[in-house]
Amino acid sequence: MTTDSIALPFPATRPATRIWPKGLAGHLVMVLLSALSLFPLYWMVISSLRPANAMFETSLWPATATLANYRYTLRAIPVAQMLGNTVVVSTCVTLIQLLTAILAAYAFTRWRFRGEKLAYSLVALTWLVPLQVVMIPNFLLVADTGLLDSLTALVIPHFASALAVMMMTQAMRAFPGELIDAARVDGSSDWGVLWRVIVPNLGPTLASLAILIFISTWNEYFWPLLLSRSPENTMIQIGIQMFMTAEGNQWGPLMAASTMASLPILALYVVLQRQVIQSFMRSGLR
Amino acid sequence: MFRASNVTPWLYLLPVLLAVIVWVYEPLGQAAWLSFYEWDMLPDTAKRYVGLANYRNLLALPKLWQALGNTAIYMLGLLPFAVVIPFAIAIHTQDLPAHFRNIYRVMIFVPMIVAPVVAAAVWRWLLDPAHGLLNRAITSLGFHPVGFLSDPHVAIWTIIFITGWKLVGFATLIAAAANAAINPALIEAAKLDGASSWAVIRHIRLPLLSSTALLLVTMSLLLGAQWSFVYISALTDGGPLGATTNIYYLLWDFGFSSGAVGWSAASAVLLFLLFALLAVGLVRLSDRLSFHDN
Repeated sequence: MTTDSIALPFPATRPATRIWPKGLAGHLVMVLLSALSLFPLYWMVISSLRPANAMFETSLWPATATLANYRYTLRAIPVAQMLGNTVVVSTCVTLIQLLTAILAAYAFTRWRFRGEKLAYSLVALTWLVPLQVVMIPNFLLVADTGLLDSLTALVIPHFASALAVMMMTQAMRAFPGELIDAARVDGSSDWGVLWRVIVPNLGPTLASLAILIFISTWNEYFWPLLLSRSPENTMIQIGIQMFMTAEGNQWGPLMAASTMASLPILALYVVLQRQVIQSFMRSGLR
Repeated sequence: MFRASNVTPWLYLLPVLLAVIVWVYEPLGQAAWLSFYEWDMLPDTAKRYVGLANYRNLLALPKLWQALGNTAIYMLGLLPFAVVIPFAIAIHTQDLPAHFRNIYRVMIFVPMIVAPVVAAAVWRWLLDPAHGLLNRAITSLGFHPVGFLSDPHVAIWTIIFITGWKLVGFATLIAAAANAAINPALIEAAKLDGASSWAVIRHIRLPLLSSTALLLVTMSLLLGAQWSFVYISALTDGGPLGATTNIYYLLWDFGFSSGAVGWSAASAVLLFLLFALLAVGLVRLSDRLSFHDN
């Protein structure tokens, strides 16, 4: 087929009047945005490797590199313990939120029942309540149970996530009903159908939710700030804050602590970039 | 059906419902209740019923109005980062080869997964008045150093910039995904009809992108000021002179620095009502706009 037979009032594409080759402006914009995104982190790593007497140098590549800032940081705060705490809390929260979301989503997809809409709304509307609105009662509740300044205190406010329940419900609703019916004919109980038929087939959703929950718990700042007291019982994000004081900043150790806190997540990202980006995109902006 | 099935779903829902009631709804009620009392959170001091006094005092407090004004600045100030720049970039760079797009994608997403405290630390270092890289560049050009975090007129914009820095790449990916989902046949048809590239953007792309744009607007209006909390807490403590205090930080300050639980609770209730009103309005708007998609 040719387009010759059609009389076009205008040429389909305008003649190139650009000074630049096509796409160069686009590349330029993206290179700039990429540089803006990455440079602060590059500067963080570079600064963490500078010896104290070269901290204020502005060269983009350190003339001499040293691990002195790391050694100092490791002595000043219990970094290993804090990182360990962060791993434990993030893992627990991820597993618990996945579990509670699986159970709730199963209830919402498997049965039609009275109060279903109300229950779903109760979960979905939790994002309407900002953390700062409920922080004092939550703080008092944790204080009453005597759990202040413990890792448990950092896990228990995170037993359920609206986002996890909603994403899981969506995934289960898309699950083919014939498979469930077939399993029921075979005599499986509701419980058995959930764990033997549905969950093993939700791999991608589970993985994507796990990534999302793990990273956001790792980066959590508000709860540890509220509920932790001693360095041994808190998460690495609070450790970073300890080097930012009104009296003065210890830039080298601050950058070393920030680098150590970020490395696990950045390593995860390097290995699983595509999945990480997808998890966040699927969740919207929460 | 068995009667048992009326109970079964609730058993599966129990953990989640218990969690949201214990950690969200009961505390919401308790905040409302505490807002009528005067109390400093010490277990051995008594709560004193003061009626609406907390609300009256609060509304007469210049600090509250300053914080509310700042909250509006945070919300609106984030819109360029969450909406305008991302869509401009997404539309502008849609023709780049897929190979390059993927590389850029991986790089511009990185700030999103960086911990807010880390972002705060790194920017604090880059923006330091005496030794920070940015001020070194500014002074080497012969200008006075800028007190990015200490100048009352600048600090709030610095916090907005850092919040936006974490967000802009991710928002660009969302915008690009929405833009890529537009049926190319529509664009081709318009071009065949002689539409200029601006007309294509104005009359085809933007209307089709409006529901995604509204999602991003909703998110940044509702959550933007909350995202800034970490940077305010870690970088300025709400200062200088309250210039960076938004309503979320004010609540924190009342509750845990000043120990004025009643005031904090009263402002929490006010904040919740404002927040819910805004949310309902935005959801209504998005319901109306989503007809564009069909």
